[in-house]
Amino acid sequence: MGASLLQAVFSGLALGSIYALVALGFNITHNTTKTFNFGQGEFLVAGAYVAVSAVLLLAGKPISGALSEIEVTPGRYFAALIVSIVVLGALGVLLYHAAVKPFVGQGGLAWVMSTIGFGIIIQNTALAIWGPAPLVMPSPLGNQVIRIGGAGVLPQEILVLVASILVMACLDFVMRKTKIGKAVRAVAHSGPAATLMGINVSAIVVLAFVISSALAGLAGLLIAPITTASVFMGLTLALKAFSAAIVGGLNNARGCMLGGFLLGLIEALVGLWQAELREISIFLLIILVLVLKPEGLLGRRMVEKV
Amino acid sequence: MPSVHRFAKLAVAGAIAGSLWAGAAYAQDIKIGYTADQSASGVAELGIAGRWGFEAAIEDINKAGGIMGRKVVGVIRDDQGTPPKAIQNMTELIDAEKVHAVVGPANSGNALAWLHLPQQKKIPVVVPIGTATEITTRYAKEPQNYLFRVSMVDREQVALLGAYAVKASKDKKIAILADSTGYGQGGIKDATDILALHGVTPVATEKYGPKDTDITSQLSKIKAAGADTVIIYGIADGTAQVLRSMEKINYMPVTLGTWGNLSSLLPKMAGEKLSEHLILAASTTEDTNARTKALGERVRKNFPTLTTFPCSAQAYDSVMLLAAAMKLANSTDGEKVAAALENVTGVEGVIKTYNKPFTKTAHEGLSVADFYLARWKNGAPVRYEDQFTKALTPADLKK
Amino acid sequence: MRFGKGHAIGVALAAAAIALAPVLITNGFYLKVLFLIGVNYLAAAGLNVLVGHTGQKSLGHAGLFAVGAYTAALLTARLGWNPWLAFVAAGAMAALFGVLIALPALRVRGPALAMVTIGFGIVVEKVVSEWQDLFGGQAGIYGVVPPSIGGSALNDGQWVWFVGALGIVAHLTIRALLRGKYGRAFMAVNTAEVAAESVGVSVYRFKVLAFVISAVTCGLAGALIAQQNQYINSDFINFNLSIFFLLIVLFGGSSVYGPLVGAVVLTLLDAFLARWPTAQHFTYGALLLFALYAMPDGLSGALGRLAKKLVPALARKPALPAPTTGWKLRATERLAADKPLLQTRAVYKAYGGVVPTNNIDMDIKTGHIHSLIGPNGAGKTTLLNILSGIVPPDRGSIEFAGRSIVHMVPNRICAIGLGRTFQNLKLFADMSVLDNVKVGLHRHMRSGFWSCLLGLPNAQRDERAARDEALQILDFLGLLDKADEVAGSLPYGLQRRLELARALATHPRLLLLDEPAAGLNPQETQDLVGVIAKIRDLGVTVLLIEHHMDLVMAISDHVIVLDYGEKIAEGKPAEVQNNPRVITAYLGTDEPDEDDLELEASHG
Repeated sequence: MGASLLQAVFSGLALGSIYALVALGFNITHNTTKTFNFGQGEFLVAGAYVAVSAVLLLAGKPISGALSEIEVTPGRYFAALIVSIVVLGALGVLLYHAAVKPFVGQGGLAWVMSTIGFGIIIQNTALAIWGPAPLVMPSPLGNQVIRIGGAGVLPQEILVLVASILVMACLDFVMRKTKIGKAVRAVAHSGPAATLMGINVSAIVVLAFVISSALAGLAGLLIAPITTASVFMGLTLALKAFSAAIVGGLNNARGCMLGGFLLGLIEALVGLWQAELREISIFLLIILVLVLKPEGLLGRRMVEKV
Repeated sequence: MPSVHRFAKLAVAGAIAGSLWAGAAYAQDIKIGYTADQSASGVAELGIAGRWGFEAAIEDINKAGGIMGRKVVGVIRDDQGTPPKAIQNMTELIDAEKVHAVVGPANSGNALAWLHLPQQKKIPVVVPIGTATEITTRYAKEPQNYLFRVSMVDREQVALLGAYAVKASKDKKIAILADSTGYGQGGIKDATDILALHGVTPVATEKYGPKDTDITSQLSKIKAAGADTVIIYGIADGTAQVLRSMEKINYMPVTLGTWGNLSSLLPKMAGEKLSEHLILAASTTEDTNARTKALGERVRKNFPTLTTFPCSAQAYDSVMLLAAAMKLANSTDGEKVAAALENVTGVEGVIKTYNKPFTKTAHEGLSVADFYLARWKNGAPVRYEDQFTKALTPADLKK
Repeated sequence: MRFGKGHAIGVALAAAAIALAPVLITNGFYLKVLFLIGVNYLAAAGLNVLVGHTGQKSLGHAGLFAVGAYTAALLTARLGWNPWLAFVAAGAMAALFGVLIALPALRVRGPALAMVTIGFGIVVEKVVSEWQDLFGGQAGIYGVVPPSIGGSALNDGQWVWFVGALGIVAHLTIRALLRGKYGRAFMAVNTAEVAAESVGVSVYRFKVLAFVISAVTCGLAGALIAQQNQYINSDFINFNLSIFFLLIVLFGGSSVYGPLVGAVVLTLLDAFLARWPTAQHFTYGALLLFALYAMPDGLSGALGRLAKKLVPALARKPALPAPTTGWKLRATERLAADKPLLQTRAVYKAYGGVVPTNNIDMDIKTGHIHSLIGPNGAGKTTLLNILSGIVPPDRGSIEFAGRSIVHMVPNRICAIGLGRTFQNLKLFADMSVLDNVKVGLHRHMRSGFWSCLLGLPNAQRDERAARDEALQILDFLGLLDKADEVAGSLPYGLQRRLELARALATHPRLLLLDEPAAGLNPQETQDLVGVIAKIRDLGVTVLLIEHHMDLVMAISDHVIVLDYGEKIAEGKPAEVQNNPRVITAYLGTDEPDEDDLELEASHG
């Protein structure tokens, strides 16, 4: 039992770090524009597929080919990471201009619909290029199961955890200690005030979407070797990451990260006990948390001035 | 910018006009419909493979002069893996397109949802992929059953797997691990029934979600129940995750799987070494004979990433059998064709030559006699033999 | 509420078309598409009440569809119920679940509300797919019994008639509901919840009602699908279905015809583009992406504007009758002259270390005008918020007309005669001036839900009486000529007056005014003095917060001074003006305050 528990904790933390990455993306865009990308799941998919294609091209194969383990060297994987982040960043800019900018500031659900629409277009483009088969991406660290205290852990899971924490720590540092981080937080508090301080608000907002999309792409690339990656994997992941953000506190970056890890852990632990009840328990829990604390665990209550 | 909504309205108008025009043009041709998932899930791989086998067959028939001198036209629809769409497609094919027969679907669940439609409207259907036993048995007691199949029907597959499991398991401690889709659900039922015929009750029955990546908890429970043999009911990507989870918890019982694992996705996702562990039921592979080889190459021209070849072969043969039945009945009338299907013989398909494949009571083109056990070796499925397979007799294949 | 001739003709035409369709069309596929349009319309019509009118964005209505579908399926296939009864039961069950999803949704808004509804939808989806013993999972439930006429199940044509009849009933009832007091209440909750409460609209009850209405129509849509297919399984229920319903509502627009055009266009698109799945997916995605940008108020909004341009007669509003008598306050029982109308004792409120309300004792006498003054941050608005029930006090007693109102819900406090206006205007900006006042009359319109839903004569009478009374109130405050204008388009000073009119419409005994002169120029401030006096003459007691000293001095019978949350003085205006403590805290005689400077500048 101890080994299974440890197993569940490891997988839960690995998956949770993915949720945390994507949730962080939601936090950054929501803080600056009160919107976020409801099609974020499809960005995860795009990230994974672009990365695989990059590795294939580097290995001299066509993008519709199949990868074998030896072809995925850490060097190629890292190069694919860069390519993926750049492409996804560009997609983020496109997303902002096409789907978000027309609707910022208006209440209502227009941006929800338009980002979902953008996501559908991305999904179908990926479908047209790569087909409906699941994506095969071997891990650059091999598939050899590592035994830690009796529990079996894939090297990729460790990579996911380490990489995510590194990225999140970097972002946390940038947000809190650097000038550009302060600019982003200023825009989050008040766009007009930030403009008056000489901050280029629209550039910051675009940056927010670039970061958020890049995070999704990174998450997709990291998770692909572990999960059954396909053009259809996006929706579930995005919904769970969104839930993590809301539970942790959408307007608090650390809350989003906490929410992600928490969700991943609970999912794995409930899965250990009764696999069918996994999603039901998570979402019931989320509803409960929201009823008791609508702003999320670490979120700040927005008080309406009467 | 009213252009968007104007575009939408034009598109809709155009589509309606187009469909009406399209309906009118093919009055004399023989129309055969094809409906399967081609875009919405992992099953799409099978649906697309089937589609190209279907199209190849129609091409060949037309080259040889058509059926009764008339051209054959295939009407293709994508059911996106969901029953509402599948039902809508069937209604469209039968009522609007007025097809004379239908080949499809891939998802058993979708077939079960629209079964009553072709049965009511007397349109013969040959199922090239969906393996749920109930599809061809639900209307078996009616005067005419319009549902036929050329595929590895679950009951027969499980008969083979079950027979092997009973022989190979030391203390008859067998477990069933199925995915939570309709396919898996049906499989649990079939497997439990057949094991019961051998006097065995499964020590554990567990389910996993088709997209799950961590099956370790279910496997731990199976291990705790003491099972040394596991029958997995799911398609390749799910099975790959099961194998990987088995490796994680260091639990490698005798593992049996269904034909869905003939997909090349399995060795790709689980790795070559791990995929060798699985023993699966198979019937057709690309190198079964020269015809299958030729068909495989042909399908790859349109679908280079082909993963599940049996679907193409089965769809091809389904069309061939329909054509033969129409020729025999000298008519496209549904009732006559269905009756003729139960009498055709000597039909050459790519898998084999069919000699009276269907009877009044049996609508399965392939049976356990066509099946054998296989496993992946060096990236290709090969026949599997060990002391237990050699010890199998036809009497063991209880169903 | 009149049954416009044009509308009646339209409905008759639609009914005729539905009646003829199965006769003229024999193709089963086309009939099924018509049926599907009807089902989607039904689901969207109710959802529009929730999303378009009450502003509660739900992304989980596939769950309610599931409730209706599985109720019908289980009752007929497993328990052998009569299919017609099962159909009705499906709607009832869905209503119950509508309450269930409403309760957590009441406490949250924005992304958290979206999350709660998504969560609900997913939980239902997972329950019906995992609890396979009861719901059959992906294998589903067969043998769902459809309603039958004369012994045989409904055929394709009869289904079209059935769903068509349901659609017409839904349209007529929802339209009747939305055009009357319920529709205005929904919009009020959507635009400004706090203001809605303050005029007697129970935000809680209306949100739940909106959820229930949307649940019933979605549930019935589910039952229709299950019974027509004679089969249901968990694949029918997913997040994409929730998005699809929401898209119909948003794409169609919030007008009462929105769900209809939305359902027609999107169902046809889905059915007829099916043969080109790639084109269909991309069209769907493009629609989601661009439609709301091109048509912010949906297709029906765009079509409506087009129609009004082509047929100007449609844009003309019916003439409003001129009020014949002056407005009078509704008679209430007289209190003994010496008893205060409102009495507070030791009211205390603290936020952490800040104490804006520190043991306030206050007596408000009937028929008098009281003013509450004090420097910024003295706690005046907090006290008003406590009195009107928006903020609960930590300690202390508050009695209004002899009853304790501590911990009473704001809409109840309004019902017993305490009305208010807000420092930051909280008008229902998208509604007309007349409708704003009509919302104030909400509590006094006696017709209930069913009368409004069915458009019964007493509801229509109520509407006419409300319109007449609202016009009287507007006349009383000099806003009659603006009755049909959109509230948000009025100049600032008139908006303030409108809020006053709305508060008066609640027939308050005590009216709390929070800085009624804020942002008004000196002329407008002078006019306000006259208005408040007129209000007092009607019989309303007034308590106002103000910074404009000339207004305070001119109008007040009694002045109360707060500083740092405590009452530091009270009495007649002249007394307070000369109170040294007040001067020190607030008036500061050495430096002229800005108002005096302004007055000098405008006179000089």
